[in-house]
Amino acid sequence: MGGGVTPDGESLFENAACGLVLTNPDGTIVRVNATFCSWTGFTAVELVGRRVQELLTMGGRIFHQTHWAPLMEMQGSVAEVKLDVVHRSGAIVPILFNAVRRRHGAQVFDELAVMVVNDRHKYEAELLATRSQLEAANERLHGADRRKTEFLATLAHELRNPLAPIRTGLEIMKQVELPTEGGRARAMMERQVAHMVRLIDDLMDVARIESGKIELTLARIELRQLIDSALEASRPVIEAAGHTFRLILPEGSGALFLEADLTRLSQVLSNVLNNAAKYTPRGGRVELEVEPLRDAVAIRVRDTGAGIEPQRQASIFEMFGQVAGTLNKAQGGLGIGLALARTLTKMHGGRIEAQSPGLGAGSTFTIHLPTVAAARRDASPSWQEGERPVRPLNVLIVEDNQDNAETMCMLMELGGHAVRIAHSGRAGLERAASWRPDLILLDIGLPDLEGYEVARSLRADPHTAGCTLVALTGWGAAEDKRLSEEAGFDAHFTKPLAPAELFAFMHDTFGGPTG
Amino acid sequence: MKLQQRNNITVHGDGPATMLFAHGFGCDQTMWRNLTPSFGARYRLILFDLVGSGKSDLSAYDYRKYSTLHGYADDVLEIADQFAVGPLIFVGHSVSAIIGMLAAIKEPHRFAANLMVGPSPSYINDGDYIGGFSRGDIEGLLQALESNYLGWSSNMAPAIMGAPHKPELGVELTNSFCRTNPDIAKHFARVTFTADHRKDLPLVTTPSLIVQCSEDSIAPRPVGEFMHKAIRHSSLRVVENVGHCPHLSSPGSTFDAMRGFLTELDL
Ligand SMILES: Nc1ncnc2c1ncn2[C@@H]1O[C@H](COP(=O)(O)OP(=O)(O)OP(=O)(O)O)[C@@H](O)[C@H]1O
Ligand SMILES: [Mg+2]
Repeated sequence: MGGGVTPDGESLFENAACGLVLTNPDGTIVRVNATFCSWTGFTAVELVGRRVQELLTMGGRIFHQTHWAPLMEMQGSVAEVKLDVVHRSGAIVPILFNAVRRRHGAQVFDELAVMVVNDRHKYEAELLATRSQLEAANERLHGADRRKTEFLATLAHELRNPLAPIRTGLEIMKQVELPTEGGRARAMMERQVAHMVRLIDDLMDVARIESGKIELTLARIELRQLIDSALEASRPVIEAAGHTFRLILPEGSGALFLEADLTRLSQVLSNVLNNAAKYTPRGGRVELEVEPLRDAVAIRVRDTGAGIEPQRQASIFEMFGQVAGTLNKAQGGLGIGLALARTLTKMHGGRIEAQSPGLGAGSTFTIHLPTVAAARRDASPSWQEGERPVRPLNVLIVEDNQDNAETMCMLMELGGHAVRIAHSGRAGLERAASWRPDLILLDIGLPDLEGYEVARSLRADPHTAGCTLVALTGWGAAEDKRLSEEAGFDAHFTKPLAPAELFAFMHDTFGGPTG
Repeated sequence: MKLQQRNNITVHGDGPATMLFAHGFGCDQTMWRNLTPSFGARYRLILFDLVGSGKSDLSAYDYRKYSTLHGYADDVLEIADQFAVGPLIFVGHSVSAIIGMLAAIKEPHRFAANLMVGPSPSYINDGDYIGGFSRGDIEGLLQALESNYLGWSSNMAPAIMGAPHKPELGVELTNSFCRTNPDIAKHFARVTFTADHRKDLPLVTTPSLIVQCSEDSIAPRPVGEFMHKAIRHSSLRVVENVGHCPHLSSPGSTFDAMRGFLTELDL
């Protein structure tokens, strides 16, 4: 080509764009090229016979011995090792090494090709710095997230406390005669409080999900129980929005059983039903259809409402996955209902999906759940208030919140029980020892002693060891239940107390009016 | 967590006595592959990776526990407990020779012999004692580790490990046996090279062999002699070898030295 002269091999070797070094396996230099010499400041004569590791910093020599040398033995090569070479002048030259061990006739040599890498090193350093910054930022975010979750849990807990006496108060109002307007107002307040309790429960669940602390209490239940319980909560919502509702239960769906946490699953289903009511303009249609499958069941909730755009059908299941749509804004809500539904369904071994032809075209939410054989059924007949009278008891209420204590007291008195109140743990202990109540309702967060401690002392005293102890607390986590069990409580109720639950417990424990 | 996974324990060979091999700083149990075939016919061989190295469970790397060599020594005792059969011969390279020694001081009855390859009780020069390095040199090593952070990081392995399956690259461009988490490597390096166990040497009662290389910049000859003097019942064999890994570069003479010592002990 062009009459130019191709450089011979010798010149190519000497002036290659990279440093070239040939050594014995022990590192003794046999040959070097001019490029390497010029980078290191030594002449070839000075270098030949020395060991290549002697050119490194001391730290580099250790690295060479602990990493490079064993690798050469084991795999016959090293790739992209960066080591500092000490220039004749004492200056440090960062160099990138590649090496291969090769047999030439009877002898084995290591062939090294090296590059000076000032820039790569800077680039790497920058990458690393960026990475550690990212890690730090991530760490901070996690911290903030954790604090947010803790805050949510505390907030929800604090919100529950004032609701407790309100709920109990409403319960009392139900049992006394009220003029019509009063009665309606009371019913309204009860609905609103129930709604608030639901919101707070959801909030607490968010905190639990985020800290991985949600637990299921599994039992064999009929599918029908699930549907009834969800509808009990959602039917008023659907009706209030003026929708028509249809339940489609095919033949044989009465024989479907689930291994499930009834409360949690009804929460899931009623979240979906409430959404259908909420995101459908007034006067729409909401349907709930059950489709039995093999070892599973599909529960579909259909509405004729706002619909969901295809690209949003996944994101609505994310926490706070509320999308800024006009309708949604107007509807309020926290954007956690579906996130909870998804987590809880998953925990039951099922899944939940959304389907919609598009905006304005209605939506279908499908909950798939595994079914089980109907071998055994946990007998848990649902009770009705008033059906569970209790013989008159001596009830001691230990509670520092005045309002709460008062309303609890009224509630008990309405049931025909004799009641005493103590506002601190110590006062409670004294009262219990002198009065010997049948039942003690004990708040856990007392100003002087922890409720657990009070319980232990009560159990330790032979005069009070036999009373029935009920814990009332804002905290309903499994851990708290375990603690109260250990402390000797017979039951643990979460505030705000649903009086019917307490009545049922009292009935089971003390029996009817005749004993 | 299971011990087997934590330390990536593998068992080979068979025999009435057990040899437990512990690799040194930098690589993993593959280091022993030139030596183990010769022993496998006569002994039960247990190989493992120190936690933080090789294919050990990196999540088990507890910076507190492994801030001294005693943390590793406790692991050795656990492994011996679960996997050793009959008399136990510990074979440790470099830092692991000291780890084995510490384990044997803790529970001498468990160890029939300790074969130490290129051991050093302390790497840093101190008065008359020549360990071979200054504190500054150790910082230099950490720097070398740091500057090879990306290339050696086990995080990068998937990207680079593809090379062996690409024959067009001709050579295996991986540093696989030495890959690990760089932060762990730095911690381990610091712990290894700043440890000083000279005071422990007189406490050894286990028959010990020191395999000293004729030329070794990590464990120079005076270090081997120092150890030999300080450990009762120790033998010193010098193996003709340049470098710190005679079991890789001179497996024949290393085997002979070990076998000779074990024969004397009737093991
Ligand atoms: N049936 C439905 N039709 C149309 N959009 C729906 C329907 N169900 C849910 N969505 C959309 O999904 C979003 C998330 O629902 P999700 O139940 O998680 O939160 P939310 O209803 O806004 O608040 P809350 O936490 O009180 O339930 C809603 O904001 C809404 O945009
Ligand atoms: Mg909702």
